[in-house]
Amino acid sequence: MTHSLHRRGNAESLQEDFVFLFIPAKGINDNGHEAKLQEFLRITLKHDPKNIGAITIGNMYSHQVDEIIDGATGVAHAVFDNTDAVTGVLQDLKEADLGLSTIVSGIFENVDGCLEKAGLKHHTANFSLGIWGNTGKLPSDDVLEVTTMCGHALIAANLVQSMVDEVKAGRKTADEAAKTLAPQCACGIFNPARATKLIAAMAAK
Amino acid sequence: MKIDPDVCISCELCLPYCPVSAISMQDDVAVIDQEECVDCQVCLKSGVCPVDCFIFEPAPWPRSIRTVFSDPRTEHKATGIAGRGTEEMKTNDVTGRFQRGWVGMGCEFGRPGVGARFYDIDKVARVLASHGVEFEPKNPVTALMEDPKTGKIQEDVLNEKVLSGIIECLFPIENLKDIMDALKEVAREVDTVFSVEVINRADPDGSYPLRKLLEEMNIPYYINGKQTVGLGRPLADV
Repeated sequence: MTHSLHRRGNAESLQEDFVFLFIPAKGINDNGHEAKLQEFLRITLKHDPKNIGAITIGNMYSHQVDEIIDGATGVAHAVFDNTDAVTGVLQDLKEADLGLSTIVSGIFENVDGCLEKAGLKHHTANFSLGIWGNTGKLPSDDVLEVTTMCGHALIAANLVQSMVDEVKAGRKTADEAAKTLAPQCACGIFNPARATKLIAAMAAK
Repeated sequence: MKIDPDVCISCELCLPYCPVSAISMQDDVAVIDQEECVDCQVCLKSGVCPVDCFIFEPAPWPRSIRTVFSDPRTEHKATGIAGRGTEEMKTNDVTGRFQRGWVGMGCEFGRPGVGARFYDIDKVARVLASHGVEFEPKNPVTALMEDPKTGKIQEDVLNEKVLSGIIECLFPIENLKDIMDALKEVAREVDTVFSVEVINRADPDGSYPLRKLLEEMNIPYYINGKQTVGLGRPLADV
């Protein structure tokens, strides 16, 4: 489960892309964890998330927020596009002291800055060493920047290209295209705000 | 996954939704290439088909592993959790699974968006095993190994194609260089892509010894990554 790790892009784009995961350790602190996931999701909603979700139910673009909160079990997710929101969520989580593991994905330097402001410290890191093997089979880099925002690879490269073509043809806006892609990412770590910008840039080429 | 040819209206709307491009038009009807399809059910669950022509019936062994490795909404029996891997570092503040002086490694085959057959996963698992790594016992790929000491994947699943399969392992940090060299070598023999990750517990001063080693070895890593923030309870003593 490295689904929020290998998001591709340059610093300018990734500085608007942060993912929270909130998860119990199986057999240690998972008894009654659902109520804590619900509280986590409510906290994230105070800070204007770009997406929330849980693999057991879906995300903001496939389900109502209340359905996600009621149906979340196992792991809950939230996506933000700025460091103020990340800092705010961390501060609220620290105060709530819910006791489940909290993971933040993003540019290391930026996340560390948020942690410091919230009075927290990083504990363990997961570094991506990129894509190895027969990389000739990959789609273009700009398509990968969109598809890797669904770490389970449920958003097809062909669908991204199809959405770019729709925008180019004037049949969809970039925002509509991003919101067409978003429901495919079952757990809700896809960032439609970032995708809108990436698709608009591809369509403008 | 199959498409009912008597129901398909040839609208072609489903074609771009397949993550492994297994749907094509033949004789004016959408058809799924059964060899390439990973049974992820993305086409079905997208709801894109206006006439509901997708048909999914759980496959018998060994094809049945395609769905459990490709649809993250399916729970793996080996892990008890939905998804393709384990909790890995995400709960390290509670489990203490990755201690100082050790490196966790994950090689995620087929990702992003290409898919992988187990014969490629087998090649890399054997090389890692020959360097003495400890495979994660709860990982679904480990569960398919004949013997975790050799890394050999059982014969009957080798040709099965999945959207993603992750090898997870652990080794002492001093073995990093040898293992990275071996991984670079075997990567040339693999006919798919795999995303590589490494995991490290921070030292008390907040530094990551692994990061320093990667820089010394000129191994590039992304500017973005994933970190636990120590809010889990009870806190593991690692």
